Amino acid sequence: MLYEYDGLSSLRPPDVVVFPRTTEHVVQVVKFAASHNLLVVPRGAGTGLSGGSLPWEGGILIAFARMKDILEIDLENQRARVQPGVVNLDLSLAVSDAGYYYAPDPSSQKACTLGGNVAENAGGPHTLLHGVTTNHVLGLEVVLPNGEVIHTGAKFLDSPGYDLTGLFVGSEGTLGIVTEITVRLLRKAESVATLLAIYDRVIDATRTVAAITARGITPAALEMIDGFTLRAIEEATHAGYPMDSAAVLLIEVEGLREAVEENALQVESVCQENRARQVRRAKSAEERDLFWKGRKNAFGALGRISPSYYVQDGVIPRTRLPEMLEFIGQIGTKYDVKIGNIFHAGDGNLHPIILFDPRDEDESRRVREAAGEILAKCIEMGGSITGEHGVGMEKINLMPYLFSPDDLDMMRKIKEVFNSAGRFNPGKVLPTGKMCGELRGQMVAGGVL
Amino acid sequence: MTTAVESVHSSLAAMVGESHVVSEPAACAALAVGGKIPQHIVSPATAEGVAEVLKFAADHDLAVIPRGKGTKLALGMPPRRYDLALSLEKLTQVWHYEPADLTISVEAGMKIGDLQDFLGREGLWLPMDPRGGASATVGGILATNSAGPLRQRFGSARDMVLGIKVATTEGKLVKSGGRVVKNVAGYDLCKLLVGSYGTLGVIVEASLKLFPRPASRATWVLEPGTLGLARDLRRRILNSPLEPLCMVLLNTLAAGLLQNGMQEGEAPGPELWIEVGGSTSVLERHAKDLAEMGRSMGVPSRRVSEHTAESCWVRLRNYDQLFVDSFPEVMVLKATLPIASSEEFLSFAQQGAEAEEVKMASFAQVGVGIVHLILWGGKLGTVADRLVTNTRKAAASLGGALVVEQYASGFDAERDPWGAPGDSLEAMRKLKAAWDPKGVLSPGRFVGGL
Repeated sequence: MLYEYDGLSSLRPPDVVVFPRTTEHVVQVVKFAASHNLLVVPRGAGTGLSGGSLPWEGGILIAFARMKDILEIDLENQRARVQPGVVNLDLSLAVSDAGYYYAPDPSSQKACTLGGNVAENAGGPHTLLHGVTTNHVLGLEVVLPNGEVIHTGAKFLDSPGYDLTGLFVGSEGTLGIVTEITVRLLRKAESVATLLAIYDRVIDATRTVAAITARGITPAALEMIDGFTLRAIEEATHAGYPMDSAAVLLIEVEGLREAVEENALQVESVCQENRARQVRRAKSAEERDLFWKGRKNAFGALGRISPSYYVQDGVIPRTRLPEMLEFIGQIGTKYDVKIGNIFHAGDGNLHPIILFDPRDEDESRRVREAAGEILAKCIEMGGSITGEHGVGMEKINLMPYLFSPDDLDMMRKIKEVFNSAGRFNPGKVLPTGKMCGELRGQMVAGGVL
Repeated sequence: MTTAVESVHSSLAAMVGESHVVSEPAACAALAVGGKIPQHIVSPATAEGVAEVLKFAADHDLAVIPRGKGTKLALGMPPRRYDLALSLEKLTQVWHYEPADLTISVEAGMKIGDLQDFLGREGLWLPMDPRGGASATVGGILATNSAGPLRQRFGSARDMVLGIKVATTEGKLVKSGGRVVKNVAGYDLCKLLVGSYGTLGVIVEASLKLFPRPASRATWVLEPGTLGLARDLRRRILNSPLEPLCMVLLNTLAAGLLQNGMQEGEAPGPELWIEVGGSTSVLERHAKDLAEMGRSMGVPSRRVSEHTAESCWVRLRNYDQLFVDSFPEVMVLKATLPIASSEEFLSFAQQGAEAEEVKMASFAQVGVGIVHLILWGGKLGTVADRLVTNTRKAAASLGGALVVEQYASGFDAERDPWGAPGDSLEAMRKLKAAWDPKGVLSPGRFVGGL
């Protein structure tokens, strides 16, 4: 029953769920599916937010809960080889004592799996400096829809041939099923400074973001939380966020001790120049954890005050943040919905969270329309409809607004190379011709065009 | 010109303008690739022009090799056939630039040197130091995923490309990604095209991620004396909090040649060149820690003056060209290895070169496991084939791979410079067929004869 859901609600259960332990098990399941013309949907922990792992047309669901071995840790080569069911945070914990970690850190990192991270090309707060999943995956073992197993990339860089690793990362299980992953491990920074800048006006916080990069500083993380969201967090988590502020920035700089000290001072002065009411610097590891606890538990906190919420994942150039946040405020008023903002400001990766009660049909409709307008604005600003959550089912109908028919046609050709029968994770990423037509109707009604 | 050649010339001229098509035999001969000479050189001034030329080529079954400044065209099998040299040099526009967003969109023919000068005005740069130096074009760098020593800190082109526009053999312009720093909408064609050596489509425009330039830079040279100590030193540095921009280990011969203006001269032994960037206090910290590491290991270290460092790095980043210019015949090999294996590989390679009585200079990016070997002298022509086979075996036994970047005449040209493809070759073949069904783009040049 559980497997019909992920972070996005769904309607239909799979016909059967299998729990392979080895690549060979996956091959057998895939071959069985091929010979019986059955659909196959892979699933990690089901923490995705775009419906990428939902078996919406039924079929076999391959759950990776039992393929969770770390196969090899090779510190001198800065690599680890893992099965796809390994939980993101568990890998970092396994190498932590040796002074290493795995950089991409989605908010769900305590639960989400590396296989799911590869499928969606997951990000996280600390990807501003170090990049997202695709920048840290060097090799894959993949089972293709005919049961054939291929290996892409390697432990070393520049393996000759097309970069299939880069193509598979973020392909949301529509090209093949990943059964083994080689990732890069990073050495932990010598020093970290975590700052909490408190603002009385949202616009001052958003202006600070571009001002920091303009100083030549790339923080490890640069997160923004608006007043509405931080009050919800504070009530649930007691992270010490001020209840009466309009926005806070959570800024982390890391690296060599000397660089961190200088950059932390610079960041502090940029915040003050942009009218921060107060800038606090975490004095201990405990205080740092507390700052982050609020950020990482935000979604749960919002869950306490609303029956449901809809998280968006738009991206815009970071210089457009002040304008965008104002726009989101207007959209909230226009559709009479509550929108919280908690997002990766440094990357320009927005996560407007629209609260609603799914039993209220009119409100649900207004939420969809509000979300549609926000994403349309992202596209208009030269941005994207998804920065790290994936297209999945959720945004499939928006693809034609971001890509031309020729762009989509080329993606379809690539899909056909691997998954011509469309049995692997059907109905994800690429709209079908039929969907386009339906969508146009829907989106016009929804006010996008 | 024969009638057929004339007719192609006029069709191309009608598409891109008479002044953008050259069919003179002498000019064409200068752009030979792998001994094959094209019949026409076409230099469209627009992306649409590139797409139109590609469609024309596919429709008329003319083989095309796209090129920027041609700095990396030595790499690859000789083309099966070659009719049109498609030059991207006229595509040099900057389409979108917002310094505060740290992104830029430029056309493929822009030279990296010009781009760096442009970005420098705002204190920004693209931290890339690819082969071919300042004249390498953005398109050529992306098509070959070419990267120099700076990749230790910043990654390669693959990590800096946010979006691309590609001309296809169907005559279309297809885009992927965008100009924002995070984007997971749709398949990542950027990754597929970067490093595809002009065999799938022609990159006409790219959006790139920019970085602030380091406030200042400094260079240290450590002299470990032996490969064993070089390995220990590399381990110490990579396991320390230090964050060098790049590290290059030179063997004795390479170190001597570089310091003596390519005349063989004295160098006491292998040298590890380390470049560091950042504020004064960051440089001081590196100075202190590197000196301390050297002292504790008995390895002499010296800081190189800014002026000397600058000219040395220019040479270090273009070493292959220096050797090509200085010696009548050289062979360039690139080994990609697990980081831990670089020094062991170097020791194998050195023994191999000595056994065959040829000279070898090595440039090893030991922080990332990429080793370039340059071989010349002796009876290179006769032993090239065997040397490649043995060196490739050594790389493979250490878990790596070897590519022949530049042949010596004795290396059997029919042999694959890329090495044995893995079990994903069939998938690559199908991707090639999806993008270039007629097989007109750089035919036969890439891995597995793609």
